[in-house]
Amino acid sequence: MAGVSAKELKSRIRSMENTRQITKAMEMVAASKLRGAQERALESRPYFETLYETMSDLAQRRQDDPSPFTLAREGNKTCCIVIAGDRGLAGGYNSGVLKMAYSALEGQDATVLPLGRKAVDFFRARGVPMLTQAHSEAAGISVGDCFSMARLLCEKFLAGEFDRIVLAYTNFVSLLNQSPAVLELLPLKAEKAAEKPSHTVLYEPDSASVLRAIVPEYLGGLIYGALCESIASEQAARRTAMDAATKNADEMIDDLSLKFNRARQGAITQEITEIVAGSEA
Amino acid sequence: MREFRLQIVTPDGQQFDGMAERLIVRTIAGDVGILAGHTDYVTALGMGKARIVTGGEERAAACIGGMLSVSGGNVKVVATTFEWSDQIDVARAERSEQRAKAVLEEKSKHTAEEIALAEARLKRALIRKGAAK
Repeated sequence: MAGVSAKELKSRIRSMENTRQITKAMEMVAASKLRGAQERALESRPYFETLYETMSDLAQRRQDDPSPFTLAREGNKTCCIVIAGDRGLAGGYNSGVLKMAYSALEGQDATVLPLGRKAVDFFRARGVPMLTQAHSEAAGISVGDCFSMARLLCEKFLAGEFDRIVLAYTNFVSLLNQSPAVLELLPLKAEKAAEKPSHTVLYEPDSASVLRAIVPEYLGGLIYGALCESIASEQAARRTAMDAATKNADEMIDDLSLKFNRARQGAITQEITEIVAGSEA
Repeated sequence: MREFRLQIVTPDGQQFDGMAERLIVRTIAGDVGILAGHTDYVTALGMGKARIVTGGEERAAACIGGMLSVSGGNVKVVATTFEWSDQIDVARAERSEQRAKAVLEEKSKHTAEEIALAEARLKRALIRKGAAK
């Protein structure tokens, strides 16, 4: 018998089976959580999109009459909201969005607002100042939390503590495809600068107070929408990763079983040969 | 009566998408009514009861925060909370009202932040109860 003993192979197969059970269970849990998260992400999408459309429209119309929310600033004090997961074993989900956020913040006077334990750990390890570590559990953040975060950020933005506010999250494209993205939240940017609005819009009571009332809502809505997308992405990424892990475990178990059977057969053959040789002697 | 396209979206999903005859909502500057053919218009929503007339029938809802925009005859209500009167959980609103009142009665025992939260909660509860009737 070459190399490994049958006993060793047996224990390896057993440990592989245990691992497989765990990855299989994690896959099932992620799949069931994914259904809820996906539904929530799809439900919040019309809100997310309408809000974004209306706001960029508003920003475009406001070009001649700048407000503190639309004016680009000279400084580079950036606050980045980073949404990642609470746990690992989700393929490239956490590292994808965290690396993207980190490279977007390079060369900036950056502060982060991490959501999710992985994001908190990542920025703590790199010594990036954090606004708050209160949201270290991405799954427990409610709509209300998003809106109070948004109000806080707006106040700090208007007070000049930050010059830019960006949001790093993961877009849920499909079950098999999730892409990290960085979105500029403030100052508001007009999408197409060339296009002049053809008619005027009536603001009540006036455009400045409308913007002041809407911007915190807008920020809160976008953070909530991005959170929904990210949570759905995390579950989808985990499901895919665990599915692959289970398949790999299956393959290894097959391979080891084959080796084990060969070793067993070899031992039996050797025994017979010895008996035959003994009886002939 | 002429109709216009009305869309109502919230973070919890789309609440309405269809033709309506009249919309009355509370904005930060008071109640406004929207009819078909309104000029392009943007305002921020306050907290209050909204009324929508669709197919000759009036429906009430609790509408809190967000914005209202009219653009090219399409009306969009992008609200933080929008609950039709028949979907409002009155018992929950009442519990929330009592909790908030308990905090407000003993102001000295709570922080300013807690009092502000309780005030907001009380307001929301009262609006929900008012809209559910």
